[in-house]
Order: sequence, then C-alpha cells, then structure tokens
Amino acid sequence: MSARLGVTALALLFVTGLWLVAAPFVVGYQPRGAEFTAATVNDLWVGGALAGGSFLGLAGYAAAALRELTARGRQSAES
Amino acid sequence: MTRKFAGAVLAALAALAGLWLMIAPFALGTQPEGASWNSATVTEFVTGLGVTLTGLAGAVAFAAAIRADLAARGLVRVRERRREPEPAPAAPQPSSGELAALLAPLVEALREDLSASGREPRSNGSAPLGVGAEDGR
Repeated sequence: MSARLGVTALALLFVTGLWLVAAPFVVGYQPRGAEFTAATVNDLWVGGALAGGSFLGLAGYAAAALRELTARGRQSAES
Repeated sequence: MTRKFAGAVLAALAALAGLWLMIAPFALGTQPEGASWNSATVTEFVTGLGVTLTGLAGAVAFAAAIRADLAARGLVRVRERRREPEPAPAAPQPSSGELAALLAPLVEALREDLSASGREPRSNGSAPLGVGAEDGR
C-alpha cells in the first residue's frame, strides 16, 4: 500500500516535470523568438531533471517488479 | 527493497528540487524586490510547493514500505503500543445508613456527656470569672 503511494508520487512528479518544461511557453513568460530568460532556463533544467529522474525511478521500479515476478514463476515451476 | 530505497531517495531529491523552485525567482533575481509577483514567480512557486509536498509524501510512503518489509523479514521489531492502564475503580463510598451506624456510638457518647454536664456543676477547676475579679480588688 505504501509502496503504491510512493509510485503514485513518482508518477505525479514525472507529470510535474513535464509541466515545468512546458510552463514558460504555456504561461507566456518566455517571449517567442527571444533569448531564454533565467526563469526559463531554470524551469527547463529543473523540469527536465525532475521528469527524467522520476521516469528512471518508475522504470527501475517496474523492472525490479518484473524481475521478482519472473523469479517467483521460475520457483513455482521448479517445485 | 532496493527499488523502494531508490524511490525514497528520488522522492527526497524531488522535494529538494521543489524547495529550490520556490526560492529560485528570488535567488536568480527574476522577481524584482517589492513588486507584485510576476507570472513566472507565481508559476515556479506554486509548482515548487506541489513538488515539495509530493516528494515528501513519496519519501515517507517509500520509507514506510521499507519498514514494513524489514518487519516482515523479522529484522525490525515492531513495537506494540502500550495500553494505558485503566484507572482502578474507586473505593465504594459508605452509604448514609452505614455512616449513621458508624457515628451512632459517637453521637450517643456526646449526648450522655451533654446531659451529665447539665446536671453537675463544672469541675474543671476554673472559678466563675465575675466572682474572682471582684475578690481581687
């Protein structure tokens, strides 16, 4: 139950990271065609890191769960 | 176990990133001092707050999952909450009848004493105040 809550938090963080990358252009504080402002650069870096990190975490979690399932299946097949 | 630990670390790092997002507009100088918050500041602050809370919740959830895992393997002893001892029932109060029975000998002795002192003169050695004072003059 707790682990599921943690995975949900990671998924939310992934979506928030994507939002941060898009926010300067969606909200409009980055003028089109102009050089990136400091706020935009910050949002792109933090949002990218957040989305990338949480994606890696989710993928790793899923991979470990699959590995565990495979090991259990192998054990039950042997016994 | 390892995946939960990695999840907890990631969530904690995300919470730190959220804190940075909240202070970034002021640290980077994109928010002028004294002016009302611009759209970039509002966006970063609100998003940072959400990221911080979500990261904290995730870290706590993963930590709880790790603890449950350890407890299931017997590596951590789960303390049972101590139940507070129930207060002992108060001693039964004597009823008015019992109280009357207890006090009856005392009342009887007082009554006898009063009736005896009413019949006999006082024999405690002290003379009446008025007589002694007159004799001394």
